[in-house]
Amino acid sequence: MRTQLEDVIREVEKVIAGKREVIEKIVIALLAEGHILLDDVPGVGKTTLATALSRAVGFSFRRIQFTPDVLPSDITGFSMYDKESGGFTYRPGLLSRVNLLLGDEINRASSKTQSALLEAMEERQVTVDGNTYPMEKPFTVIATQNSIGTAGTQVLPYAQMDRFLVQLSIGYPDYEAQMTMLRDRQTENPLESVSCVLSREELTAMQRETRSVTMKDEILDYITKLTMASRTHEAVAVGISPRGALFIGRTAKAKAYLEDRDYVTGSDIQAVFRDVCTHRVLLKDGSEHSVTQVLDDLVKKTDTPDHRSRFQGIMKK
Amino acid sequence: MRRQWIVYAFWLLLAACLYFFENNMGTRAVLICSLLFPVFPALRSSISGKEDAGKEKENGQQTVSTFIRQETDEPGDIRPYRPGDPVRRIHWKLSAKKGDILIRETQTADEPAEKKNLIAPTRNGKKDFRKILIRILTAVIVLCLLMLVLIPETRRGSQALCNRVFTASEAVNAYAYTYFPVPENQNVFPAAFLLLLMAASLIILTVLLRSRFLILGIAAALTVFQVYFGIAFPAWINIPVYGLLAALLLNLIPSDRRLKVFAALILTVSVLCVILLPGVDAATEAASETVRDNLSGIVQQFAGKISEAPEGETETRHAHTQSLETGNQEAAADQEYRLVTVEEEQISMPHWVNYMKIILLLLLAAALVILPFTPFLLLNSRRKKADEARKTFLSADVSQAVRAIFQRVIDWLEATGSGAGNLLYRDWTACLPDSLPEGYAARFSACAADFEEAVYSGHVLPEEKRKQALDLLKETEDALWQKADRKQRFRLKYWMCLCE
Repeated sequence: MRTQLEDVIREVEKVIAGKREVIEKIVIALLAEGHILLDDVPGVGKTTLATALSRAVGFSFRRIQFTPDVLPSDITGFSMYDKESGGFTYRPGLLSRVNLLLGDEINRASSKTQSALLEAMEERQVTVDGNTYPMEKPFTVIATQNSIGTAGTQVLPYAQMDRFLVQLSIGYPDYEAQMTMLRDRQTENPLESVSCVLSREELTAMQRETRSVTMKDEILDYITKLTMASRTHEAVAVGISPRGALFIGRTAKAKAYLEDRDYVTGSDIQAVFRDVCTHRVLLKDGSEHSVTQVLDDLVKKTDTPDHRSRFQGIMKK
Repeated sequence: MRRQWIVYAFWLLLAACLYFFENNMGTRAVLICSLLFPVFPALRSSISGKEDAGKEKENGQQTVSTFIRQETDEPGDIRPYRPGDPVRRIHWKLSAKKGDILIRETQTADEPAEKKNLIAPTRNGKKDFRKILIRILTAVIVLCLLMLVLIPETRRGSQALCNRVFTASEAVNAYAYTYFPVPENQNVFPAAFLLLLMAASLIILTVLLRSRFLILGIAAALTVFQVYFGIAFPAWINIPVYGLLAALLLNLIPSDRRLKVFAALILTVSVLCVILLPGVDAATEAASETVRDNLSGIVQQFAGKISEAPEGETETRHAHTQSLETGNQEAAADQEYRLVTVEEEQISMPHWVNYMKIILLLLLAAALVILPFTPFLLLNSRRKKADEARKTFLSADVSQAVRAIFQRVIDWLEATGSGAGNLLYRDWTACLPDSLPEGYAARFSACAADFEEAVYSGHVLPEEKRKQALDLLKETEDALWQKADRKQRFRLKYWMCLCE
């Protein structure tokens, strides 16, 4: 484990006890320069997590609560007539000078607002009235959607879900964790104690290094086999897209980097496969299985690269 | 060596099955299974890639694989590895300990050169004598053959011998065969003498020459003779003759104890078969009777409809009528029998059927020959790969070596049914059997990590990783072999036998 990243995780853990796994996954997504979709019930600490993370890595953090009234211009900014200069001046929106954006209940925003945000996520720039404004780097969006109380919401279209790198859920804390939390918060807010242990520049450098992690053909082959198997699986209507495959590779690289390796192994792929692909697979109507079951099934049925690499080196020789 | 025994065990089984068939169906199965005899060793040596059966025998002592540790651990000379040394002689344990690859030298010398080339032994005088003897014997054989064919007296003699063999033959419908037109009181002694002389010369020549092709040639000639003329020698002749040829072929001079046991085994089995399954003759006779009865019925039904009269039939018919008139009952019965025979032959045996039969028999023989070898042929590529893998244990590239060694560990686990299937190797630790020694799982997962590094990164691994992997392999082999039950040991042996 990289010590610096370990520090980040420990800092965040101060606030969210007992959720190390999720925090690690979020750090991985950060390294892979991807956006995160949190699918969760209210009140499990999504905002706290995002705030703590942004503090630990020295990000500028903003949060927006989506409602049907939020307009695209709130996000991207808009041009306003300036009486004194007699021209239009650009008033930056939410997306300027932000590294980590928490979009709460993204499924409550109107579809045009959603699309404005998602476009910015993909392009990492904002275009208003034909002028392009670049955004801060790194830029990561943590969007949440509540799995209950979905009345009156605009469900994210499948095509837009595809743009998120991973879909995670924090889940309720266990007994121990909740006790710790209750104890810690009696007098002070632990958020205050989170210190910045990693600079933005260092993180950017790490992201660059992540990209240069070695991924051998055996691993690429494994990713391809997995995704292709998902497209032909009997319970699946829409399988994992090529972009999904690309994202699996990127996330696996980040996972390897987090574990202080400069090469991707089959276990990295297996570790990230579920998180990267849950929201990319659409099951057929009336399917008895859940997406998780189907993904596990895919992993179980596809030959691991370890097995396939058998004697291959010798044959090449 | 072990592979060879599998083949022979299979053959014995096959022979038993064919005898059973013979008993019930009256086929020429004996012939087919005799045909298999000489072909086996030749195929075996070509499949196992060994040049010479004798050479394998020489090495047999040490190729008895690593399973029997007591044997291989006997102190021989240990010397450092030199390029070209066989991988199986590496003393893994010591090599792992010393950090250098050590070779186990056993008492048996590396294939002595003069034993390979037996026509040219070391001493010159003996070589000349042998050469002259070989020439003389060849001349005798050719001369005997020429005399047998060219001198009318001996030719008739051999034909008369053939007739007697026909009479004694076990072949189905033996009575239907055409005899050579030779008087029964023909003097057969010159021919028999020539034949015996030829056979004796052949045997001596075979022993002297030690040529696989000669033996195969003799076996083929005998077989073709039997198939073409439809004379099957009785099984108790066929089996020892082919067995002898096989034994000669297997190990040209029967000085080896194992070979004697083998020859004795074959003889015992054939004798037992003849004694315990006396039905060979009886079944043949019964089958012939049935055929004859059926045919007689048909002949009576269609009498007179046969337009083409075979040669000599008219005369026989005439004589038949005459003897009926004169009241010579014996002659009449004899001629009636002949007439029926001729008609049977005409109905039942068109010429093309004969050829079809020969072709079918040959095809069947070929199929039977290939059958026991199919697993070896199929698994041969796997064996080659395993060999390659073992070579890479010593490869200069440590990554390659670690990769191959770890694969071997996995193979061992899988062969004993301790594998975890389609899981990543690092996750196998959870599924390893409890019988493995303390701390094995930790060493295994360390090695699995090395394996992953070797496969998925471009790193150059340090030399000690190879040692670690070799230690793990050794430990795995020891532990699994100790714990394996009989079935698993059998499986391991079979698997090793493919890899050895």
